[in-house]
Amino acid sequence: MIICFSLIVIFLIVIFSFLVRNILADNSAVVITVKILVCGDEVREGWEQCDNGDLGGQSCVSLGYGAGELDCTPACEFDTSACPPGPSCGDASCNGSESCGSCPADCGACPPSGGGGGGGGGSGYVAPVTSVIFSGRAYPRSTVTLLKDAQVAATTIAGANANFQMTLSGLTAGSYIFSLYSEDYKGIRSSLLSFPTNVAAGATTYVSGIFIAPTISVDKSEVKQGDNVVIFGQSVSSGEITISVHSDEEFFGNVKTDANGVYLYNFNTSPLEVGQHFTKARAASSGEISSFSKAVSFAVGEKNVTAENEKTAVKGELNNDGRVNLIDFSIMAYWYKRPSPPAKVDLNGDGQVDLIDLSIMAYNWTG
Amino acid sequence: MDRVVLRNLKIQMIKFIKLKNLFLFSVFLFSFFSPIAQAAELKLASPVLKIEVGRQFQVDLLLNAKEESINALEGKIVFPEKLLKLKKIQDGNSIVNFWIKKPQEDLTGNIIFSGITPGGVMVENGLIFSMIFEPAVSGAAVLEISQASVLLNDGQGSAASLDILPLNIVISEVISSEKPIGIEVSDTLPPESFRPEIAKDPNIFNGKYFLAFATQDKGSGMARYEVRELRQKFFSLFAGWQEASSPHLLADQELKSYIFIKAVDLNGNEKIEIIPPKHPLLWYENYLFYVIIISGLTAYILWKILRRKKNSLY
Repeated sequence: MIICFSLIVIFLIVIFSFLVRNILADNSAVVITVKILVCGDEVREGWEQCDNGDLGGQSCVSLGYGAGELDCTPACEFDTSACPPGPSCGDASCNGSESCGSCPADCGACPPSGGGGGGGGGSGYVAPVTSVIFSGRAYPRSTVTLLKDAQVAATTIAGANANFQMTLSGLTAGSYIFSLYSEDYKGIRSSLLSFPTNVAAGATTYVSGIFIAPTISVDKSEVKQGDNVVIFGQSVSSGEITISVHSDEEFFGNVKTDANGVYLYNFNTSPLEVGQHFTKARAASSGEISSFSKAVSFAVGEKNVTAENEKTAVKGELNNDGRVNLIDFSIMAYWYKRPSPPAKVDLNGDGQVDLIDLSIMAYNWTG
Repeated sequence: MDRVVLRNLKIQMIKFIKLKNLFLFSVFLFSFFSPIAQAAELKLASPVLKIEVGRQFQVDLLLNAKEESINALEGKIVFPEKLLKLKKIQDGNSIVNFWIKKPQEDLTGNIIFSGITPGGVMVENGLIFSMIFEPAVSGAAVLEISQASVLLNDGQGSAASLDILPLNIVISEVISSEKPIGIEVSDTLPPESFRPEIAKDPNIFNGKYFLAFATQDKGSGMARYEVRELRQKFFSLFAGWQEASSPHLLADQELKSYIFIKAVDLNGNEKIEIIPPKHPLLWYENYLFYVIIISGLTAYILWKILRRKKNSLY
């Protein structure tokens, strides 16, 4: 009897474990894909038409030209400059297998005796450049900042469709940590999207499919239990935003962004217990999913308190220049494990500056 | 009566043992199927596990964090000093962007390190740094990672669950003169360009101006930085360098100096960045002005003398 009961309990535990695992996997496990292609590595991949000697089995003739030598440009596109036009009688050009005999319209009437042929042209050598091209989606008309090894390397403005592209050239071959972030229409920054990349010498590396996480803010730092808290931010236009509210139980909500990528979601706090809660958001569009945004906090209590401007409350911003960068790191590194650090430098308020404070700073990094 | 009691007791014991086993089995199943996040892993790796005395070899400290984003780490590498001599530490191509404590041998003979990667990184076999060892005597050497901490990029500095893999190396008695294993030596490129910054803050150096700088070398790794401040740029050829680390308190608090920052990699390649003075010298404070005037006057006088001599000859 006891054994039967125990077996039933085990069976239930196994089923429950599977269910929990699957539910959490569905809700929180997101695979973020950033596609990295290397143009110049002799391997044709992705959108590349060719890569140096790898022409993918194509030739001048297969591309509709006459017989010639098909080449590949440094940008991994076909170079058809050495391909003569395809033979076509009546195209006002005597080419291919056309002759005065087979196509007098193009080649003219056959003379009494034969003539000589012409010479070909050449092309200059273009030195290979070590570069990386980044492309992806941020927010409509937003500023996108690219960090190379945590220091600002380039900025650009995304288009109205939130797409952006930027190129970094003149690099040394090696391993880099590239990071990107964007600022929304209110100047609020996204979380950093970082990825290690190996840059090959003399090749162009393409990093595509970048999808910057939405920005997120709340209108109240404390909300009266049962009232709404407004969760808002920006992402791509017409994107699907999934909002997660963390507490003992995780709540999810969905909302669409407008043409400017702006979203706004009213979350009713009735099911939440009194205390601190966190919310974060991620975006989905055209079959791609962004990473989750930063988590912002709000408290459920007995009154409504308007949230302060998020821009003024960035942890790790020590010298009041609006950025979290090398200067702030230097200040914190100076106080690392020294006695009696200033309260502003001790980010978690535990009376010492240690690795935890530096981790909090690294999370809020802007470069 | 006693036999009955004993029998009942035995039955109860058997039931208890069975229940206990079932409970342990349940715990095992629950643990196995529960949604536990994959741990980060710090490991020591080497291309060889057997090496001869005198033959240098490379050991890499690697981070595996495929499921979690890591933005800070620290720890200590413990190795048997009697068996292994540490020849060099290289941080070229490291996933760590800024060192709080650059990997170095401490007084106890261990290698300590701590650093951050802003924005975090999810990586497989991400290189933290490499060590070059030379076996001194034969034996079994165990290299271990201790006091290690790896923090999540979650804004809270939460610790990631961590697996640590040590490295066992067998050193044989045969003295070898063969070339080192796994050590790249060719690096002719200078460190990366960088942008040093001048700042001041009441929380550091009593609000005085300081210099912040950092760069990386994609080859052998960074060796050191040197700084010099010069009000008279003209005399920079004769001025010496001072080894420095960031943050560096500036000697010229009036910011009238050119500041030269030299980054040197382990192969001696150099990259020099120059910050012009925020408050340049006035023209009459600049010695170059007097050098030009004196040179001009000297040239004029010489020309006059030569001309007079030439005229007197005729």
